[in-house]
Amino acid sequence: MVSTHSRRDFLKISSISLAGAYLAACSVGGGDQGAAEQALRAAFAQPINDLDPHGPSSVDESTLLAGRLIYDTLIRRDGDKLVPHVATSWEQPDPNTWVFALRDDVTFHDGSKLTARDVKASLERVKDAGTAQSALWTSVSTVDAPDDTTLRVTTSEPLGTMPVNLTLMFILPAAKMNDEGFFRKPIGSGPFRVEAFTPSDELRLAAVDYWNGTPKLNRVTLPFIPETSSQITALRTGDLNVLWPIPPDQLRELEGLDEIRLETVPSYAYYFTWFNCGREPFTDPRVRRAMWRAVDVAGTVRNLFGDGAELMTAPIPSTVFGHAPQQPYEHDPDAAKRDLAAAGLGDGFRTSLMWFSDTGPLADALAQAMISDWAKVGVTVEPQNLEKAEWLRRLNAKEFDMDLQINTVTTGDADFTLGRLYDSQADRMGYRNPRLDGILRRAHQDSDRRTRGRLYGQACKIIWDDAVGIFPAALISTYGLRSTVEGFEPVPSNQPDLRGVTLAT
Amino acid sequence: MIIYVARRLGQSVFLLFGAITIVFLALRVIPGDPASLILGSQATEAEREALRADLGLADPLLVQYVRHLGEVVRLDFGESWRLGGDAFAGVLERLPATLTLAGYALALTLLVGFPLGVYAARHTGRFADRLVNYLALTGQALPSFWVGIMLVLVFARTLDILPATADGTPLALVLPAFTLALPFLGWLARLVRNGTLEELGKDYVRTARSKGLSEQVVFNVHVLRNTLTPVVTVLGLVLGNFIADAVIIEQVFAWPGIGSLMIESIVNRDYAVAEAAILLIAVFYIGLNLLVDVLYFWLDPRITLETV
Repeated sequence: MVSTHSRRDFLKISSISLAGAYLAACSVGGGDQGAAEQALRAAFAQPINDLDPHGPSSVDESTLLAGRLIYDTLIRRDGDKLVPHVATSWEQPDPNTWVFALRDDVTFHDGSKLTARDVKASLERVKDAGTAQSALWTSVSTVDAPDDTTLRVTTSEPLGTMPVNLTLMFILPAAKMNDEGFFRKPIGSGPFRVEAFTPSDELRLAAVDYWNGTPKLNRVTLPFIPETSSQITALRTGDLNVLWPIPPDQLRELEGLDEIRLETVPSYAYYFTWFNCGREPFTDPRVRRAMWRAVDVAGTVRNLFGDGAELMTAPIPSTVFGHAPQQPYEHDPDAAKRDLAAAGLGDGFRTSLMWFSDTGPLADALAQAMISDWAKVGVTVEPQNLEKAEWLRRLNAKEFDMDLQINTVTTGDADFTLGRLYDSQADRMGYRNPRLDGILRRAHQDSDRRTRGRLYGQACKIIWDDAVGIFPAALISTYGLRSTVEGFEPVPSNQPDLRGVTLAT
Repeated sequence: MIIYVARRLGQSVFLLFGAITIVFLALRVIPGDPASLILGSQATEAEREALRADLGLADPLLVQYVRHLGEVVRLDFGESWRLGGDAFAGVLERLPATLTLAGYALALTLLVGFPLGVYAARHTGRFADRLVNYLALTGQALPSFWVGIMLVLVFARTLDILPATADGTPLALVLPAFTLALPFLGWLARLVRNGTLEELGKDYVRTARSKGLSEQVVFNVHVLRNTLTPVVTVLGLVLGNFIADAVIIEQVFAWPGIGSLMIESIVNRDYAVAEAAILLIAVFYIGLNLLVDVLYFWLDPRITLETV
């Protein structure tokens, strides 16, 4: 055996390496274990990559989530209403002009005052950023800040979605936003300031004296945990206080536990299966409708997702403004076969369905279920499970027969999805309908809520009846909360407001 | 000796150059590019073209390659589109976490694997030997991601004595380090056992014994020293493997190292980060191999330049 001498060495070495590991682990995670503090650890299922709210991640839910905590917007969403925030009121003297009156008591985390100049600089920055959110602002032509509390925006064509789009437009300090490295520790005017940020790993926030209700929590840490089972374990052991959204197939791991409460809310995210309407045989609406009827949509959604999703009744989720329920397509394989025969496809045909696994929960299972239903009516569908970048390339190039994906109505307004995807000029999936184009354009420009609602109702009907795609399931976000968490309100956007949250001791 | 090291350094530079070239080409050959991922599915082809030109992706591949070599030399890989800010700095920021994990796993491998191997060698054929052999094989055979998930289930979810993810406490290091070390631990134990047995049968051991040296001295002074040479070789490779294997382990345990960063950057075609991360891993791997070769001389004076 080992001699006494080397055994002592062994112990010495092991204690040194343990101490080293202790120090190292502290530096890795921060090791902040405040005792009496109200410190929340909350994990969202996607990583926060970038805190630049106008950059390439500007419409990522995770960046928006962080943005809501760090920055302010002119207008805020409260349930399905749009409410004043930094803007106290707004008016539209003519269809192409918007004038906003701003609060004068809002300060950034560095103590400087938020003025209309900051809003102007932010809006111009996001408009010119060349990123996904810039598309919302293309019709903005000038932004003026005549004084500290007045903002005037003019547009080249009426922009009825101005108020709802502004709920995504985060205000940055004009004097600092272009500094090198600003977004590693950005300054905003929101309820929390950034303490530390490691991209796609962890964001640590501390509460500030906020003009619109100081948070009850002192600190919030938002770690990213890539592996689902590790997320669930961390919530079960109390390592996390909140986790969302929980994938439908993981719900039973958390059900029936005393220390965990599950709260659900229908989200803005939904699945669709587009047909490439510019490609045979999907140029024929009869074929598209037959394909829909061939699939047991209701049964599949119920079996796969359970309480994790709801059956869709329109091409957008029921939580979105502009949703109008349509007549469901009944599952009827025989009728589907008859319709295919009427379209000259009595012997069936071969086609393909593309998707990428991470598009949403149970994507692979959903694709397989649809493919096996199609096989029953004689349609052989080749499954094409692709890598994300390749999927996106083919989607953009319209190199697909059918495409299954998750889509998120980020603003909660039909314009974001219907207006941008189904317009002939956008030409996303080869569907062209001048009548639909007209409706969508009017809805985009009109600022009257009732008119817009009615127009989107018509748009929903056209897209649904023409079966541009199959619209199976809208996801229900499940938030897992430790029972000590109080005052947490689940929201469809996946971007909860944490100001009212407290932790019972 | 100096000539030898210089020659090996030259080879290393050549290897690095090869790695840089392959990574550069592989990233650009695979379909999909940053422009479409940045703009998402809503953008028009014209917008994508404009962004490609902006990012320098519209230039001929050779132009991009030469520019990239310049970047590598200056250690400036450009901005990460996905994480914002300097890509190389972003990778360096994650490096300590990976090195900590690898270092701790290495310590674990040595402190457990080496004594186990020695113990087995001194009890050849007995139950302890067979047990060590069996456990070592099992450890090597189990896939790391599965072991990681199982350990989380048992020690975090069921027993609740260790954290499942990097939560900032030192205990969080235990599960990932053990998962990472497990296959190599068994490997090392078997290597040490077999190496020791081989040495024990050699003439010098008989000579030492016949001189009247105690078994302790024969073993600790002579035999162990000679088993170290193959062990050092293996450890050099193992440490390199730790950094590569960490890719999977970091994913399971939410460990904020460069492995998870690299995977995400490749999926999202964040060329700058992917190139910086892979280059760093290559530098480590090549550097460790070099170090191992140099260590040989120190450990075994019989090795001369002629024999290598």
